[in-house]
Amino acid sequence: MKRFLCTGFMVVCLFLALTLTCSAQEKGFDDKEIRIGQWGPQTGPAAPWGAVARGSGLLFDVVNEEGGIHGRTIRYFLRDDQYNPAQTVAVVKDLVERRGVFAFVGGVGGACGLAVMEYLKQNKIIWVGPSAAIREFVFPANPYLFAVYPLYEDESSILTKFVVEKLKAKKIGFFFQNDQYGKDGLSGAKKRLATYNMSLIAEIPVEPGDKDLSSQILRFKESGAEVVIMFVNPTVAAIALKTAATIDYKPQWVSSDTLSDYPLMNTITGGLWEGVITGAFGLPPDTDHPILNKYRDAAKRFSPEERWGTFYLAGILFADPLVEALHRVGPNLSTEATLKALNSITNHQTIGPPVTWTPEIHQGTDSVQIQQCGPGATYITLQDWQSNDLATWKK
Amino acid sequence: MDMKRDYYEDIEIFSSNTVLAWSMAFMIFLFAFPFLVGNYYIYLANVILVHVILAVGLNILVGYTGQISLGHAGFFAIGAYGTALLMTHLPMPFLLAVIIAGLIAAFFGFIIGLPALRLEGPYLAIATLGFGLTIMHIIGTWDVFGGRMGIHAPALEMGIPELGMSLVLNTDMKIYYLILVIAILMVIGGKNLMKTRIGRAFVAIRDDDIAAEVMGVNLTIFKTLSFAVSAFYAGVAGGLFAFVVKFFDPFTFNLILSIVFLVMVVVGGLGSILGAVMGAALITYLQYDLLKNMGELPYLGDLLVSFSRKWFTVIGMDNIGGFLLGLIMVLIVIFEPLGMFGIWIRIKKYWKTWPF
Repeated sequence: MKRFLCTGFMVVCLFLALTLTCSAQEKGFDDKEIRIGQWGPQTGPAAPWGAVARGSGLLFDVVNEEGGIHGRTIRYFLRDDQYNPAQTVAVVKDLVERRGVFAFVGGVGGACGLAVMEYLKQNKIIWVGPSAAIREFVFPANPYLFAVYPLYEDESSILTKFVVEKLKAKKIGFFFQNDQYGKDGLSGAKKRLATYNMSLIAEIPVEPGDKDLSSQILRFKESGAEVVIMFVNPTVAAIALKTAATIDYKPQWVSSDTLSDYPLMNTITGGLWEGVITGAFGLPPDTDHPILNKYRDAAKRFSPEERWGTFYLAGILFADPLVEALHRVGPNLSTEATLKALNSITNHQTIGPPVTWTPEIHQGTDSVQIQQCGPGATYITLQDWQSNDLATWKK
Repeated sequence: MDMKRDYYEDIEIFSSNTVLAWSMAFMIFLFAFPFLVGNYYIYLANVILVHVILAVGLNILVGYTGQISLGHAGFFAIGAYGTALLMTHLPMPFLLAVIIAGLIAAFFGFIIGLPALRLEGPYLAIATLGFGLTIMHIIGTWDVFGGRMGIHAPALEMGIPELGMSLVLNTDMKIYYLILVIAILMVIGGKNLMKTRIGRAFVAIRDDDIAAEVMGVNLTIFKTLSFAVSAFYAGVAGGLFAFVVKFFDPFTFNLILSIVFLVMVVVGGLGSILGAVMGAALITYLQYDLLKNMGELPYLGDLLVSFSRKWFTVIGMDNIGGFLLGLIMVLIVIFEPLGMFGIWIRIKKYWKTWPF
């Protein structure tokens, strides 16, 4: 019996190994399908951002339901990399070399993306809409990489303009995470304030792991800042708001779009998120907008258990320009033709900002919306899409 | 099974000519491997070999000395950052940089070994866990280390370009051979170490540290030495890892990684070099390949996807992946405390006595 089990176990192992080894495919597409991949943390510490990759899956389901692209359906490969660059490299090499993936979309995580950027370029694999605003992705322009996500510096500049012109704030504080994300935000705010001959009344850094923020928040209170702009992570923001509430400090909080998932933020802050103003890279999930309604109905059919939130929507809007380009290419699909179509996309807009790419500039947009968290974590749009007139990279 | 009749039999690396012949055959297979498979598998093999080095080192600490470490991702990070930064800032050949980085890791291992003199079991686990997290945060906070954004590994330069001797390993295949040679040396080194006075002192400490001390084993020296040796292995593995992935950030070396390392050793078999090798290979293969591609399996894939969608969260197949990895761990601990090494021993015994 034991011998039988042993042999059986070995046969099963061999079978598994062989079926996985023998499915090598070379080209990115054939007459029936176009293969598109994405990595994203589905498990592990960054799993809440995994909704991005699943959102792209919904978009491709909708495209396939409508008959595909010029007779080809999209075959979508979503792989969990657990937010670990070593696994991202493995996943990407696997998808490129064994599954024959034509293009990648989205992809959460700056380090994960940077780990595979060169590899994708060398293998001439198109990559559209990385879900991280990393300057190295787009400057200098990489011929195969097309970014949608607005840069933090641009977003911060637009937010600061809103704070000065619409909120009429005089005393502005800036609370930033001590890394590229926070520093880019800080630099955008400073450049914008310089045009008004103003300066920040307090600029205070925070480490992402900090759990006690009482000294920082006290310094903001003592500075008398009426508005505090935050470029921090969700945990730090939650602690900051709770700390401020305990010392009875009530500035207008303004935050970057990374915290624009209001239901989530409202839950982890215990209801304190109401009234916070944030930037946004997509329309509010509850907007009555024909395209958004189409996706919302599709989500109810394809994955009813999924929460209809900002990050899920982000997955749709990051991948959407690639679908548009594939439609434009027509039946004679090739990487070159798709690149040409991507490079000719001008002011393409669905549920996100208007996206424009040229052969020289692959940062697709510098526009964000400004939204506010209303009662019950609802979305109130304060300002429609606006671009950053101070953005230097466009010139 | 592995009964030894005299001392000289015990210190042999290859217990018989059959073992020697099979080891040679396996060695030839390893050297031919890159010519048999695609680039993806070479990358996977690189990661496996890096993990093999680390697991052998961790096994010296956990399996042979009976100490625990939940901070090995920290030593791994020291190796990766040390090697990459040494080569970037002070142009030096890779081998020198990786050895220095390994020694730095060993020094930290020694430091961590000091509290281990007084701590045991869960207390030691917490102390090492704290070390791992501290390293991750220090690297993330100091700009010298590239901060939280991470750093690119420099070109893998084996020679000294200033002296006209330059040899850059730039493909996965070339890196494979480098890692393979280092891994073989370190595995043999580990196996040999266990046959020396030092190795036997480690085992004595594991079995009973008071008895070991009575016999004349200096606990201070040997416990810290075990940590240092183990950290050296982790440092060298980290140095190689840096060039396998080419880009890494502090978050890569998080607590989960330390736990996965421990899983490799436990699943492979505590107190066995061969077990560590097998555990590292199996867990890495499962984690990086099989469990990620289960959705694509014929027949079974669709079934599992619909099952996980119906009963688990929306993330689909990856539920099953985490579940299986945990299940393997639990089953091994309950039914096969010797790990894969134990299974291996039983298979060997079965065939040796076949057909009886």
